[in-house]
Amino acid sequence: MVPSFAILGTFVLYPIVQSFVYSFQNVTIGGDSTWIGLQNYITLFKDQQFWNALGITLEFTIASVLVLIVVGFILALLLQGESLANRIVRSVFFFPTIVSLVTIGLVWKFLLDPSIGFVGGIFDLVGLPPVAWLTSTSLALPTVIFVNIWKNLGFAMILLLAGLKGVPQERYEAAELDGAKRGQLIRYVTIPGIRPTMLFATLILTIQSLQVFDLVFVMTDGGPIFTTDTLVNLLYRDAFVNYQTGYASAISFVLFLIIVIVSALQLRFFRYNDVD
Amino acid sequence: MNKRKLIIGAAALAATALALTGCAGTSSTSTSGPVTLAMWTGFTGGDQPGYAQIVKDFNASHPNIKVVQTVESWDTIQQKLPTAWLTGSGPDIAAPSSDPNVIANYVKTNSLLPVVTGAGSSKVNVSQLAPAAVKELTYKGKLYAIPANFATLSLYYNKKMFTAAGIANPPATVADFEADAKKLTLNGGSTQYGLSLADNQTIQMWPILQWLTGGDIVNSKGCSVLTSAANQAGLTTWANLVMNDHISPVGQTGAQADSLFSAGKAAMELNGPWAAPGYKSAGIDLGIAPVPAASDGSHVTLGSIAPLAISAKTKYPAQAQEFLAYYTAKTTQEKFSLTTGFPPLRTDMGDDAALKADPTVQVFTSQVPDARLYLPQLTNATQVDANAYVPMIGKITRGTSVASATAAATSTINSLTGCTQ
Amino acid sequence: MSTDTPRIRRADPINRPQVRNPFQALRSTSKWIFLGIGLIAALIPFIWMISGSFRSEADLFGSPSSLFPTSVTLHGYIGIWQQLPFLRLVLNSFVFAGVTTAATLLFDSMCAYVLSRMHFRGRTIAFWLVLVTLMVPFQVTLIPVFIELFHFGWLNTYQGLIIPRATSAFGIFLFRQFFMSIPAELDEAARIDGASHWRIYWQVILPLAKPAIATVAILNFMNLWNDLLWPLVVTTSPDMLTLPAGLTLFGGQHITDHAVLLAGATISLLPIAIGFFFAQKYFVAGVATTGLK
Repeated sequence: MVPSFAILGTFVLYPIVQSFVYSFQNVTIGGDSTWIGLQNYITLFKDQQFWNALGITLEFTIASVLVLIVVGFILALLLQGESLANRIVRSVFFFPTIVSLVTIGLVWKFLLDPSIGFVGGIFDLVGLPPVAWLTSTSLALPTVIFVNIWKNLGFAMILLLAGLKGVPQERYEAAELDGAKRGQLIRYVTIPGIRPTMLFATLILTIQSLQVFDLVFVMTDGGPIFTTDTLVNLLYRDAFVNYQTGYASAISFVLFLIIVIVSALQLRFFRYNDVD
Repeated sequence: MNKRKLIIGAAALAATALALTGCAGTSSTSTSGPVTLAMWTGFTGGDQPGYAQIVKDFNASHPNIKVVQTVESWDTIQQKLPTAWLTGSGPDIAAPSSDPNVIANYVKTNSLLPVVTGAGSSKVNVSQLAPAAVKELTYKGKLYAIPANFATLSLYYNKKMFTAAGIANPPATVADFEADAKKLTLNGGSTQYGLSLADNQTIQMWPILQWLTGGDIVNSKGCSVLTSAANQAGLTTWANLVMNDHISPVGQTGAQADSLFSAGKAAMELNGPWAAPGYKSAGIDLGIAPVPAASDGSHVTLGSIAPLAISAKTKYPAQAQEFLAYYTAKTTQEKFSLTTGFPPLRTDMGDDAALKADPTVQVFTSQVPDARLYLPQLTNATQVDANAYVPMIGKITRGTSVASATAAATSTINSLTGCTQ
Repeated sequence: MSTDTPRIRRADPINRPQVRNPFQALRSTSKWIFLGIGLIAALIPFIWMISGSFRSEADLFGSPSSLFPTSVTLHGYIGIWQQLPFLRLVLNSFVFAGVTTAATLLFDSMCAYVLSRMHFRGRTIAFWLVLVTLMVPFQVTLIPVFIELFHFGWLNTYQGLIIPRATSAFGIFLFRQFFMSIPAELDEAARIDGASHWRIYWQVILPLAKPAIATVAILNFMNLWNDLLWPLVVTTSPDMLTLPAGLTLFGGQHITDHAVLLAGATISLLPIAIGFFFAQKYFVAGVATTGLK
């Protein structure tokens, strides 16, 4: 445990504290820093862009995690057998998970380009008008959410599959002996059985989604007109384009607080007697 | 006890692994050889060979100095440079951004060494550099960076499409420009757009359209003038051309606008000299013309510069100055222009025969006197761009009324610049 | 999060008796139609990416509805090969991802063992601290970490690249969840025989944790291989760049040559795809038998 904590302490926890201190300062890296107390946070709560980014981040997270867990669960149910076909299909679904978000963002951006991309080409072929997936204010966010789901579906599926495999056979057998029907089996055996895995998957996916950056940065850079501007995208812009390190740190601590609260709620929601 | 042993073992293992890979932090500390100057730039485009050539020629002619250029994306440089310069681990010379306004931030943090100006081969002769660029990079009377390049935007057009539409010449006036853009748009843009406009992640094109119709963004006090009658009229005209006549797709990034033109799906685009080689190799029958004349007959285009500055913590200030002086010298600039198509930084090369002979360089150079910068020396210019200007163009091309979009942009701009009416 | 009936699953999943649960009935044509659509959606972007890397701009723009090149051009790959010290980048990527993954496995599993098996004050706080590090976006700590590395003199070195990344909260979390599902009776039996914690960890727990090791190893290697921001920040000299970092040079602001960008994407994908192809048997099966709790 010592090496892990030495590394986490030096390279993660200490910088977090450092960054927390910045959030109470008006600091420009290399320049003067002045202690301004809660001013950054006050500005933040009056900042329309912050509220916009917060709303978009939550929308992104809720939509992504819901679809991922539900569809991932269905896929896991469909593909839990160990036949060769099932294993091949699982691998294919899992494949996007191993590819970097930057690559995925880039490829989808080209695919969806209304005038030169493959999707546009197919639409044209069947006589549909071109769709401005990423430059339309109403479609950009759903499109980015779709690509995020596309990438992470295999990950969700494989985690939930692991949970399914962990449900002891004997429980199904016992329930069947008691005369349970299929729906009741899912309700009373499967879902309680995979609750800990659901928790793990939901927690990890939620944290990941709340921190989404690469995909948005590559595909839309927050546009059009801030309709895909997530919190990390906003704090990136403040820290590295506008050089307002203190303000960016304040945003990151609000985000951190949100993640902690959401995680705690999820832990509580899934908490049952058998859960540590 | 056992755990401690394990940690020591792990550390030893890691050390061995590092030693095996042979690169555990060796740095060259030769004292007798030439002085090495590190330079970071973000020039990843087609103009990169031009900068590489300058460095190569400089190193060849200055045996005591060796400039090593590292090219990274602008995003990376923006992330690393402030901290790198703060800790003294940064480069001696750098182009901190493609946006000259960031120099203000570095001046504020005392990260930069003022450029030594004056006559002589080891100084930068300011009087011979494009005045707009010099003004942009001067703070409190001192020049803090030289322009690494000075680009003007010209009108690229697809000759084949012009012929097909029965238009003989590129538009000479803004009225022709508007009419041609309409005429060259086929089937509402689904087969061909008249003009490829970008409004985000790009060198701005819309200010040119505003200037052509008598408008502007801010006045000399940094106050927004977007709500003026001329602006309302000009922006309404162009927004209607985009929305109703579909002369251009909505909301393109710079790269997308370039792709559209290079794919042969748009007849015109406003772009800088870096684009020409790519368009030619994509097989476009390419014409390049000056930006059409404004409604009052004057000429205007957008000029764009990338700054090149010296770190305040460099160990070799004299050598770095010498490099900048060499960079702005006549022979260097002539070669650079011919390699890249960019106009030279200097104003005393208008009669240079070699440059005149190159039609591409000629078009871009001829517009240098008319070039205006985007939001020059404006407080918080990057935020004015991101939070006011880009969203405003985005809104008016998507149906928001010009009046309300410009009003919103005006209040954002005025609060960012601290304008006092 | 241990369950009331902890169990160990080591049996080869392929030879396990077929699961007799109600979902088997779902295996039908409609299932395969549903999956077929999913498969197409999952694969087309990759097919398009690889084929696009061999297409000229004119071909790409001329027939956007085609998945395959009309004529093959290598100029994307030639462009990359000429401008990047390619083998060096691949080597750096392997050293970075490989050594870091090895260190992570060791440190994470040890840490997880302590968190799941030893009782001491502050154990819960320690676990929460680990979780907290998962919850902070990397961009937040970027500037302080950079300044630290500078003070250590680790910028532009392999140790600077590797050591800060040599443990991952995700790995500790996953290992801990797995160790919790291993029955405590096993190590109590060993303890009665006089085994130290070290021996229990090394001889009892780790051998049972092979699926978890495989999972953490592959997920970690993959994340490190794909990591862009970290190597970009720590390294400045071209000799130290990793593959994804080197390839960012081709995403210029102005003109985009799609073939070069797609060739870069294909190249960075290739090693990990090959690795996935050979390892996925262990991996997909591995995750599926962790009995992840």
